[in-house]
Amino acid sequence: MGMSRTNLIALLIFGAILGYFLSFGPETTQKFKAGVYQLLSPFLSSGSGLKKQITSVRTGLKSLEQLERENAALKVENRELRATNQGLRDAEEEVNRLRHALNYRERSVFRLVAAEVVARDSSTWWRTVTINRGRRDGIEVDMPVVTDEGLVGKITTVSDTVSVVLLISDENCRVAAKVEGSREQGIVSGERVKSGLTPILDLNFLSKQADLRPGQKVYTSGVGGVFPSGILIGIVKSFRVRELDGQAQLTPAVDLSHLEDVFVVTGRR
Amino acid sequence: MIFFLLLLALVAAAQVAEFFLPTVPWMYDAHVYIVPVIVFYGAMALPFPLMLALALFAGLLLDALTVQVVGGKVEISAGSSILIYGVLAGLMHGLRPLFARGRWEVHCILSGICTSLILLAQYLMISFRRGSIVFTREIWWQIGGPGLIAMAIAPILFWCLQWLSEVTAYSYGPERGRLE
Repeated sequence: MGMSRTNLIALLIFGAILGYFLSFGPETTQKFKAGVYQLLSPFLSSGSGLKKQITSVRTGLKSLEQLERENAALKVENRELRATNQGLRDAEEEVNRLRHALNYRERSVFRLVAAEVVARDSSTWWRTVTINRGRRDGIEVDMPVVTDEGLVGKITTVSDTVSVVLLISDENCRVAAKVEGSREQGIVSGERVKSGLTPILDLNFLSKQADLRPGQKVYTSGVGGVFPSGILIGIVKSFRVRELDGQAQLTPAVDLSHLEDVFVVTGRR
Repeated sequence: MIFFLLLLALVAAAQVAEFFLPTVPWMYDAHVYIVPVIVFYGAMALPFPLMLALALFAGLLLDALTVQVVGGKVEISAGSSILIYGVLAGLMHGLRPLFARGRWEVHCILSGICTSLILLAQYLMISFRRGSIVFTREIWWQIGGPGLIAMAIAPILFWCLQWLSEVTAYSYGPERGRLE
């Protein structure tokens, strides 16, 4: 059965558009990605707000269920009061969290831009988050992203109002690192696929004699120029000697699965 | 045409929604993907040119949201998702007569398999770029899990989309030669 003329034309147009996209270089790809993110940014921001509201309602329903089980005889007013209290506690928690973040920004040696995580990675093979700061806020590609606990990752895509952060748990995010209390230096990278509940980072290219102990802290060394030195990356979990080098496994300093507020390092003070 | 435009809007909405859907912890954090199921439904419900347009749109969105440029290098080039969607949707489109006769089950299963094939293709591409290929249990779950989830949600989604086609007075016809 032959292909109809309409189908053939459609296939040719499809092929031409496909060829056009396949010819994109890194720079054009970056611009294309940033453009689409910019178009979607209002939906990502409102989706993030909606998700928070849903989570809040779900938490509220849970506490109501517990109240019903424990205090079946409680009057409706009591329930309302408890719900209000819960709301206030949430607000207090948020105030504390923001105050903590503000303190960090004030005492940090870096110039920081505060940002909120609006979306997590939707893809299987890359570890990224989207933040609500972009070019308008002075964000640029390759800027490091941190919290008061340590290193989070680096910026890979910037649109006007949102940016994509590649997390240190991604295999592609490589960070030059040094180990506390030793002369050992190496490169930290994430795993291709998370193999446990919390991501593990690999510190490669150590000397075979490194003999790192669990609990030793690993910081950025500043080599390479992307990440400034002295930012905590993680803590040594284990060390092993391989054929050509030593490798340590690290627990990230930052809980990457529950990121809410982060800071983009835009320079030194 | 209204139905086609609705499918485009649904693909865009589903692509954004995927950012906020939680992963499935007992499937080694497998992701929930809705877009492929909508695209593969479109592959069976739409005529060939519109099927290609839908695959193009979905692939373009997927490329824009997943492609990573790190250190000046592109891991999966823009356009690759368009190609994958185009090929898989084309295969599904070949089974359109079966779908028009009301046989949905084959397509539900195929939607799951094709969802996993997209992930497998992506994984092979990044493995090639990164210079090493490993297949662990976690990786198989990351590939197969979303496919199983897609298989499970396909009947519900297909039913909703079928309802939508009726509301918009869109009728299937495997041998239709004109654009809807």
